[in-house]
Amino acid sequence: MIPADTTGISAVTSFDGKGIFGPRAARPMLSRDADSMYWMSRYIERAEHVARLLLVNGNLLIDVGDLAPALQEQQWLSIIQILRLNESDEALSGDAPMGIRVARHMTFNAANPSSLISCVSRARENARSIRENISAEMWETLNSLYWSIRGDDARSRFEDSPEDFYRSIMAGSMLFQGLTDQTLAHDQRWLFTQVAKHLERIDVTCRVIETKFIILKGAETILETALRNIHWMAVLRSCCSIEAFRRHHLGEMDPLRVAAFLILERNFPRSIRFSVERAVDAVAAIHASVDPNAVDPAERVLGRLNAQLEYAEMTEILNEGLPAYLQRIQASVAEAALAVQKAYFLN
Amino acid sequence: MFANYEVDGLFDEMFVQPGQPRAHYAPVASRLATLDVEAFNRRRRMADVTFRNQGITFTVYKDQAGVEKIFPFDLIPRIIPANEWDHIERGLVQRITALNLFCQDIYHEQRILRDRVIPADLIYGAKSFRREMFHVNVPRNIYIHICGSDLIRARDGQYMVLEDNGRTPSGVSYVLENRTVMKRVFPALFGAYRVRAIEDYPLNLLQVLRSVAPPHAAGDPSIAILTPGVFNSAYFEHSFLARQMGVALVEGPDLVVENSFVYMRTTAGLRRVDVIYRRVDDDFLDPLCFRPDSVLGVAGLMNAYRTGNLAVINAVGTGVADDKAIYPFVPDMIRFYLAQEPILPNVPTYICARDDDRKYVLENLDKLVVKSTNESGGYGMLMGHQATQAERDEFAEKIKADHRNFIAQPVVELSQHPSLCDDHFEGRRIDLRPYILYGEKITVMPGGLTRVALRKGSLVVNSSQGGGSKDTWVLEDEQELAAT
Repeated sequence: MIPADTTGISAVTSFDGKGIFGPRAARPMLSRDADSMYWMSRYIERAEHVARLLLVNGNLLIDVGDLAPALQEQQWLSIIQILRLNESDEALSGDAPMGIRVARHMTFNAANPSSLISCVSRARENARSIRENISAEMWETLNSLYWSIRGDDARSRFEDSPEDFYRSIMAGSMLFQGLTDQTLAHDQRWLFTQVAKHLERIDVTCRVIETKFIILKGAETILETALRNIHWMAVLRSCCSIEAFRRHHLGEMDPLRVAAFLILERNFPRSIRFSVERAVDAVAAIHASVDPNAVDPAERVLGRLNAQLEYAEMTEILNEGLPAYLQRIQASVAEAALAVQKAYFLN
Repeated sequence: MFANYEVDGLFDEMFVQPGQPRAHYAPVASRLATLDVEAFNRRRRMADVTFRNQGITFTVYKDQAGVEKIFPFDLIPRIIPANEWDHIERGLVQRITALNLFCQDIYHEQRILRDRVIPADLIYGAKSFRREMFHVNVPRNIYIHICGSDLIRARDGQYMVLEDNGRTPSGVSYVLENRTVMKRVFPALFGAYRVRAIEDYPLNLLQVLRSVAPPHAAGDPSIAILTPGVFNSAYFEHSFLARQMGVALVEGPDLVVENSFVYMRTTAGLRRVDVIYRRVDDDFLDPLCFRPDSVLGVAGLMNAYRTGNLAVINAVGTGVADDKAIYPFVPDMIRFYLAQEPILPNVPTYICARDDDRKYVLENLDKLVVKSTNESGGYGMLMGHQATQAERDEFAEKIKADHRNFIAQPVVELSQHPSLCDDHFEGRRIDLRPYILYGEKITVMPGGLTRVALRKGSLVVNSSQGGGSKDTWVLEDEQELAAT
């Protein structure tokens, strides 16, 4: 069937009959698979944020001691607020200190959709239904992470050292995302994970800044400067940004600078602007590979937000009010997520 | 650890008698002799963790919640010498050839019925006979492209066919994964052997799928595996094969039929599908043709199939060839279509639809294994010699009520193979399911799935009934095996 030649290359059977080196059209992707790809990526990103918030908050309260019990409670509840969970949930009641109740609720309570165990399980369930779309390395990493939180020894490891436990989840997420970048072709499959990751990151970061800003604003009068700085450092840590911020601003812990850094810094991968730019790029690339002629609503929404962040100034944002500004960004993210869903998952 | 090992008058794969291994097992036996229990258990744990982390699991349902389980892996490999395998391979090629000629004949001229080799009522009474397939031409006239025939060994070591699986045989993913894990945890065992590679199975399967593509696909067919979904117990395998071949894995709701073509819903709209390797039973493929309540398939699929716009593997209607009441006639099929004597014999079988046979079965229930002709996976069986009188009476009533639905076989002692039990080795019964592919040519995967009945004395090896599996080595041509 294959003509003999002298190179020996023809011994390799070419499936398409057009020759081994000919171009191949991009393989289509099932809508259901795109959907699962997207949610796998969002849930693992969410798990990482939850783990980091719990870790940072625990350490923060060790640092500030029992100076302000009311503020402590508020700090723990802020995690519940950031994730838009019900503060009067029965699972949160009990006699144990607030920190322990929140940590339990957010770590092992499978009935809580934002708990670590829920996020990791959902990421893994999505991955399990699309294993033929992801790499073996990605699957094994996610599956091992799942068993590390689901296995028999998970609770005792957690009791031994919550910090190590949370760190292992953050590291698992980072490893997974790194493998996603390094083992997957950067085609539609990868692009959907990128859209999801960045939309999730924008969303959580907005909520962290918004919630903490309101709490710290309210506590301004009772906090000494030194303590206030510690709290703002914790906000940066919650967004994985403390070192980058220090390098940038030489350690001046001014709340506005913190907010400006987390929202507008162009080159830092944890800032809102950075993520918006990446999300636009990914959505545009998906759109181009699928149907270059149609108008993509998600691209429009995110593109507009991107342009806005590009030219934004902190004074403007403060005039509008920081919380209102952040809420507007979240609304755009929700709109974009819905548009992606409509355009690609419901075919 | 072999101190109290017993052979018990069975055929033992490893030992001629205790302390005297067969030549092809000698290197393994001497290697195992140098290991203590802890060293062995360490490897077993390593294998278990590997299986778990790779998600090589199947789902067992109880109390609504599905529990993911590892298919128990038995670390000692089963070894088949080259000459034995040669015999098995020739027998399997002969068998799949005859089974395919039979399907072609049954859905067209029915010569075998007209010549009264097989009673026509047995065919028409088979639940798996699909009249929808009558006079439908399938690509290359092949129906069973993928076959898994279960082999057992009698007391004298002779290989016999226990049943053929010509619908959607499963387990091949475990064969491939067992080998991978074995290499990882016990590389030293391979040292003395030249074991035939099996890794090309997915490639061979892909070639089979390509070989049936309709002409309009023009050399670049769009191929998909159809799975019932992530909750199916064999989902791991469906996903594994899709991954190994790089083809799409679709569920019924991903598909839609328009103008007798099948399409899948993609991010870029509908895309045509040319070949479907379905892991869904005939009954669920198309609610317009078969079960109207099924959501696992897609309405209109049969129309696309019969029009020739879509190829389906295995063909619809192959169940008629692996019906347990048809099985006793496979040797006759081989004689009828190929004018050859069967290379691999059947296990003697009594057909309850025949008056003489039924009379014998009812009188000898305590010596027989009775099987329902339409069940698989070890369900609907009576092990007469182990059952209580009440269970036997109940089965006798069932047989009297529905002759067609039952066959019976004498209890065949399976061969045994050493397995680690706690801290020593004991013999456990095993069988063998080789996988045969039929596309442009017939390819038999060297080896197959060796299933182990992990409970002492048990003859049931099905995974749903507490069976495990082991890596199966077919050796390259005769080689000198020096006991080290």
